[in-house]
Amino acid sequence: MSALQFAVPEWLAVVSPRWWIAVGIVLLGIGLGYLTMRLGRRLLHRLGINEAVEGTAVERAAGEYGTSTVGLLTKLAGYFVILLSVFIAGTFTNIQFADLFLRAAAVFLPQLAVALLILVVGIIIGDKIEVLVAERLRGIKLPEIGVIPATARYSVLFVATLIALGQVGVATTALIVLLGAYAVALIVFTAIATQELLASGAVGVYLLLTEPYSIGDEVAVAGQRGIVQEIDLFVTRIDTDDEEHIIPNRTVLRDGIVRIH
Amino acid sequence: MGSFDDVLADIMADIDSVFLFSPNGAFYERFADEENVVVVAGENTVDAETFVELPIEFTDIKDRIRFGIEGAMDQDLVEEGNTVACFGSIFNGEVDSAVRVRVSEDLRSGLYDLFTNSRADPNVIRDVFDVALELGRKGQKGSPVGALFVVGDAGKVMNKSRPLSYNPFEKSHVHVGDPIVNVMLKEFSRLDGAFVISDSGKIVSAYRYLEPSAEGIDIPKGLGARHMAGGAITRDTNATAIVLSESDGLVRAFKGGELILELDPEEH
Repeated sequence: MSALQFAVPEWLAVVSPRWWIAVGIVLLGIGLGYLTMRLGRRLLHRLGINEAVEGTAVERAAGEYGTSTVGLLTKLAGYFVILLSVFIAGTFTNIQFADLFLRAAAVFLPQLAVALLILVVGIIIGDKIEVLVAERLRGIKLPEIGVIPATARYSVLFVATLIALGQVGVATTALIVLLGAYAVALIVFTAIATQELLASGAVGVYLLLTEPYSIGDEVAVAGQRGIVQEIDLFVTRIDTDDEEHIIPNRTVLRDGIVRIH
Repeated sequence: MGSFDDVLADIMADIDSVFLFSPNGAFYERFADEENVVVVAGENTVDAETFVELPIEFTDIKDRIRFGIEGAMDQDLVEEGNTVACFGSIFNGEVDSAVRVRVSEDLRSGLYDLFTNSRADPNVIRDVFDVALELGRKGQKGSPVGALFVVGDAGKVMNKSRPLSYNPFEKSHVHVGDPIVNVMLKEFSRLDGAFVISDSGKIVSAYRYLEPSAEGIDIPKGLGARHMAGGAITRDTNATAIVLSESDGLVRAFKGGELILELDPEEH
């Protein structure tokens, strides 16, 4: 009996007590990680994350792998806690060769975890925005309208990726420059393409506010004589006997208009 | 039971296409493998390939079917001589009726053209109908009112009319369908004369005295000067006239000088 009682401590003493502390920390870490998953899941449910992400692509993809967005997030947090405990445990063992690596990793891994979290949240927000914008635009029956929700989604994704990469320490300047170049090009081309519309629109505001001529007046514009049918922001519609002339408002102001009494 | 089935089978024999009026998803699915299915509804909720949009929910089942078939004829989905089966609801919501209709040009009453092929935007015409129907339902302070809306071709209409008084809509940019408009129109309906509304729905003028030549205009006996003026102006111009009668409370639509549609506000 007494031999057995002593045998256990002897067996214990084979490895240093540091190792046992390390194992204990890892076990505690696993427990804490599990607790994090459980508590996190409950917290996220309470916050209504499930309803918020419903219908997004992430949720659907997660569903295909038998989990959900909430499950994904909480698992990420849980594994992070476990990993952290492993590193803390590592510092208690006197393993010199791993020390340097572990120290670097201890700095890098939280950053990576935050980056991953930002990415996942970015994807979810992007999806959600796509769904919301698409719902808003559903009344507009135009096939090309699908571009706008997609653009909104990828903008959010782009920003999330930039932040995530910044977290990890990857140089993102080139990406920002690229985005800037696209934005400038878009603005320049839009300005060139819409200058006629902008000019007409400005005149249209003046015409609508002061109404120098109104619907039903007989007028002559740019050599066309007829009855004004409609004035909107960009064009004036003038009817002759069997023709309808649609005249840009800037022409009206440039060439002047003749009212016929 | 046998005779029931026989009667139903007779009604549904040799059908060229099937018309579903405001079907729900499950009902539409049952016709998934039929070839010529046309959905007629206010909104294409079942993503049907062939679809005719109902601008207003006609309570008269005849009007609804007529509109659906005219729309289908316009889109070349059915042609003269075809026989179609219509499924729809007469009472509340559920599919409760099957109607067999033979497509012929006689069915064309201009009802579909009234909404889709008018000068004015279809939405504008629908909005004016809504305003007129609401005005008919509620009246002005409980007593019935009459109103005359001339929609579309506003330039010509303005030229063929003259003001009875100052135009309250001058230099204003009010469109039918704007939230405040119903109240405004209700107030102004006390005034005599017509409302003139442009193709895009802008209210151009109130207080207009229409001066078309009413010669040869044939409207049902018993209707007054308002209907006569409304009918006549649509013959002289490409406008559509929507008239709310003060005496019998019905909303009538004229186009091309003819009475196209009659709606009872109480039923809408």
